[in-house]
Amino acid sequence: MEEVIDVPGAPPEPAVVSQTLGNEQRASQNPIDNTVATESEPQKQNVQEQEKISAQRITNLHRHLTALVTNIQTAADARESMRRKDLEEAREMRLKLLENDMKSSQEKFAEITKGWSLAKDYVHAEELQIALDDQQRLLTILLQEKKSLINHLQEELKVGDDRFVKDLRKQTEERDLMLERMEDQIRTLTLAYREELLQTQAVNRQETDDLLTRDMSEWDQHIKTLGDTELDRLTERRKTVAEHEAKIHSLIFHTLDKQTAAKIEQNTKLQVMEREHQKILASNIIIRLKQIKERHELDILMNNRVESLPTEKKKSITTTHSTQPSKKSQHLSKEYKQSVQHYERLQKTIKQITLADTRTFEDMWLTVDAEVKQLVEKALDIDSLICKQHYGIAWQRPQLPVRGVHSDKHFHRSGHLQFSGLSQTNPASHRSRGMKTETDTESTDVEVCKDRSVVQSDGQAELEEEENMFSMEMLTKVMEPLWEEIGFLMEEDVKLLHCLDKDAQTAMKLGSLLSSLGIKEEDLPELVHFLLKYRQHQEEQTEDVCSETGESHDQAASQGTSSTSDLIQPHKVLPALKSFLQQYNKSSQQQSSARHTEAWSSSEDKAYWESLGNIISEDKVKLWEETEKRLKQYNSVLTEISELITETDSLKQQNAELRMLLQQSLNPQVA
Amino acid sequence: MPQSTLPSASDSKVPEGSKKTRTIISEDPCWTLSLLPRLSDLCLQSIANNFEEHPLFEQLSSSQRDFLQQRLSPSLPLHVTANLIGDGVYWKRRCQQLWGLCDVSHYGHSWKRMFFERSLENMIELFIPDVSDPGNLLDMVHHCRDFVKRLRVSQLLTPVMDPQRVEEEEVASDNEYEGPSMDHFDFSILLQKLSRLEELHVVYRVKECGMNFEWKMFEMTDRDCESLATALESCKTLKVLRLHQSHVDDKKCRLLVKHLLDHPSLRQLDFSHNLISDKGARAVAKLLSRSSLQELDMCDNHIRDHGAKAIAHALSNNSTLLSLNLRLNRVRDEGGQALGEALLRNCTLRHLHLGGNEVGRRTAAALSEALRQNNVLRSINLSCNSLGEDGGRALQEAMCHNTSLTECDLRLTQVDEDIVSSITQLVWANQSSEPRQDQEKSGARREVDEMRDEAQEFTGQSWTYE
Repeated sequence: MEEVIDVPGAPPEPAVVSQTLGNEQRASQNPIDNTVATESEPQKQNVQEQEKISAQRITNLHRHLTALVTNIQTAADARESMRRKDLEEAREMRLKLLENDMKSSQEKFAEITKGWSLAKDYVHAEELQIALDDQQRLLTILLQEKKSLINHLQEELKVGDDRFVKDLRKQTEERDLMLERMEDQIRTLTLAYREELLQTQAVNRQETDDLLTRDMSEWDQHIKTLGDTELDRLTERRKTVAEHEAKIHSLIFHTLDKQTAAKIEQNTKLQVMEREHQKILASNIIIRLKQIKERHELDILMNNRVESLPTEKKKSITTTHSTQPSKKSQHLSKEYKQSVQHYERLQKTIKQITLADTRTFEDMWLTVDAEVKQLVEKALDIDSLICKQHYGIAWQRPQLPVRGVHSDKHFHRSGHLQFSGLSQTNPASHRSRGMKTETDTESTDVEVCKDRSVVQSDGQAELEEEENMFSMEMLTKVMEPLWEEIGFLMEEDVKLLHCLDKDAQTAMKLGSLLSSLGIKEEDLPELVHFLLKYRQHQEEQTEDVCSETGESHDQAASQGTSSTSDLIQPHKVLPALKSFLQQYNKSSQQQSSARHTEAWSSSEDKAYWESLGNIISEDKVKLWEETEKRLKQYNSVLTEISELITETDSLKQQNAELRMLLQQSLNPQVA
Repeated sequence: MPQSTLPSASDSKVPEGSKKTRTIISEDPCWTLSLLPRLSDLCLQSIANNFEEHPLFEQLSSSQRDFLQQRLSPSLPLHVTANLIGDGVYWKRRCQQLWGLCDVSHYGHSWKRMFFERSLENMIELFIPDVSDPGNLLDMVHHCRDFVKRLRVSQLLTPVMDPQRVEEEEVASDNEYEGPSMDHFDFSILLQKLSRLEELHVVYRVKECGMNFEWKMFEMTDRDCESLATALESCKTLKVLRLHQSHVDDKKCRLLVKHLLDHPSLRQLDFSHNLISDKGARAVAKLLSRSSLQELDMCDNHIRDHGAKAIAHALSNNSTLLSLNLRLNRVRDEGGQALGEALLRNCTLRHLHLGGNEVGRRTAAALSEALRQNNVLRSINLSCNSLGEDGGRALQEAMCHNTSLTECDLRLTQVDEDIVSSITQLVWANQSSEPRQDQEKSGARREVDEMRDEAQEFTGQSWTYE
């Protein structure tokens, strides 16, 4: 076991390592170059190429790096196998050596044993001594051989130990190297992968950028087209909107027009209504005023009675009555005076108002009438022109309606004023004014009016006469039967009447009667007159009816003066009264209606104005229209003719020019 | 809220002083609804606080369960939580509390599985035979039986010796205390109960032993082997077994294989870095022909031509094996030839590793013959062999007709550089033509994993050779 085992020669590992390292470097450089080259090239296909190249590169890297690591392993394997081989060889050699040694030692041992057996034969000490020495020599040789073998083996063992330790150390070194390389491999691989990643990222980014830009441009284009279409649509819409707006405006204006028209119409209606309303108001005021007046009259009557009552009472019961009622009556009389004054004032104001109204009315009437007359004159002139010039007919001037301002009103009012009895303002002036106006109107019909006024004045004069005739006695006489008949209406007052004297009684009776009948005091003479008339009328009915009214008048007057007893039959009083009341009511109504300043003559006025308006009659109007038509036709024909005249003028001129030209052209030829 | 809803009738009775202390919520600018825990939250909090006495989980809605997973104490006993609380945040919290850094992707993204597997591994690794109480372990197994799929035992402790006894024994003699005292953890009590175990990685060694080093610590005893064999036989769901760096010799190998012969689900077997030679290889070959293994790793053993021939024979009749690793054995040309001939008939094997097997020209010729016909083999590793120029040329010729091979390692095989590069070009062409990149990637990943394991095992490996 003392063979020296050859230390295996340095394995060829380093060379391999260096080679692989170089490969690796190349491998790690090449792909980069490639990728750099590819980057400069145009893209699209680059990506795939790049991927392929990078995959190739990575596999190369894998191969080389793993080779780098496994090289060590294989080297170690080789060394190990070599070591084993050496070990085996050494073992074999050792075994051989041992065998040889054993063989030689066995031979020697056999020699020694043979020597020992030979030594038994020896007897001599010397021989024995020699043999022993021999033996001893052989043994020492043997021992020495063994010792040397042992030494050899021990040496070998020591060498083996050393080598083992060395191997161990080497193996640790290799292992460290391997670990290092593995780490290196990992590092380089990670680096490579990182680079790879960056490159792929760059390539991909570029690609995505390209795609993005392309898409963006596309997108922009799309957006632009979209915007254009939108704009078009918008403009269209704006147009339509404008149209619609215009439509709407027109509609609005249309409706507005309608509305305004309706409004105006309504306004006019309203104005008419207002006017009517004012009219009604005015009539109401007048009615009220009349009522006030009536009341006032009643008050006067009552006052008279009241005044008379205390005197009577004083006469009858002078002592018994104290001063209190007189005070009262004084107070009342004061009040009464005041009210009378008030009433008078009112009356005055009413008169003034009416005067003013009439004045304005007259003025207006006159102006309007003048205007209308002018218009009528104009129309008549035109008519005469038309008739004379166009038709050659002799024109007759139609009769113009003539109408005064106060023809009717005057009569009513004067009558009324006369009936009122108290505080008569000069009706004569009224009448004269009325007359004046009548005379002012230069009419052919003046006579009619005059006649009427004469009739009226006649009636009035008659009444005045009668009034004068009827004395108080007469009245009482007439009234007595009335009273007798109608006494039942005032039974309460009768008892009081007994204590009065006869005059007072009759006065009271009369007052109460009148008040109960609703007849005013002023109308009393009229009543009397009526009653007398009634009787005459009855008489005429009963006797002969062929006698004249004037005669009967006279008769009645004579009768009234001669016999008062048969003035009126008591049994005929009641129907007479009835008929009078009827008449009276009618007349009062008439009076009230006459107080309307405008209503009094509306119908007549209307007729008057219409007659003025229709001064040109329907036939005339038709005629006028016809003439207008004709004239228009004439006019058109004339305008045509005038146009044609200009044309003919121009044509004439042309003709002349042409003739000139012809002559000019002819002349040179002749020349 | 309760303040605002006080009935108005009681307001009249409340004295003036108390009215002032009351505040209306709308007047308090600091008040938000989130400041007040909701009643349901309060209830859940109380459930979390009293979970040990009144476990209540199944009846809750999913959102409430999430809430509980956040709030439950990680120190709750396992008998309460193990079967009640599903995989989720709670187990994550427990894992992070115990180990800090955790990579859940190695555990099928299940925190619960991770927790139970790692805690069980810890218990096994720190289990000292004859000293630790197997009761605790059994309790643990009882709780985690449904969740453990993989056990990666990276160390097994030997029984502790009394210093006195050690002294005595040292005084008495050197070789007398061999026996039951050196036996490791007995898996038979464990594997039977883990009804879902699929992977078992066992290494009979002690980590960080320091100056207490003894060879015995890194050996699997006969009784260990027996107990493990019976345990493996009882675990019917096992798919992956790794038993490496554990001084498995022919005898132990035969014993283990004998018990695994009719295992219904074993797919992957790893006896790397052991002492298995021809007899053991023969036993493994028998296993190959009997079971449906898909991966066999026998790297760094002592298999010679006879063993290789046996394996090759089994391979020629096998239709399940996908990967065979015979790295660092002594197959030599006879074994290599046999394997090459077997590949002519086999049509399932995808990966073959014959690195460092002293194979030569003849093997290369046989393999090139196989490569001409075989279109299944994806990777072949012949590194660290003395193939020579002839072998390289033969392989190059063969590669011209092959379209399936994507990896071919010919480093340190005394083949001409040009030939090697041409072969690698062909291989890369095959790689690129093959659309299944994912496979390649997975292969690369596996390679990296392997290397990492290798790097770890270098330390252990170094001990196995004198």
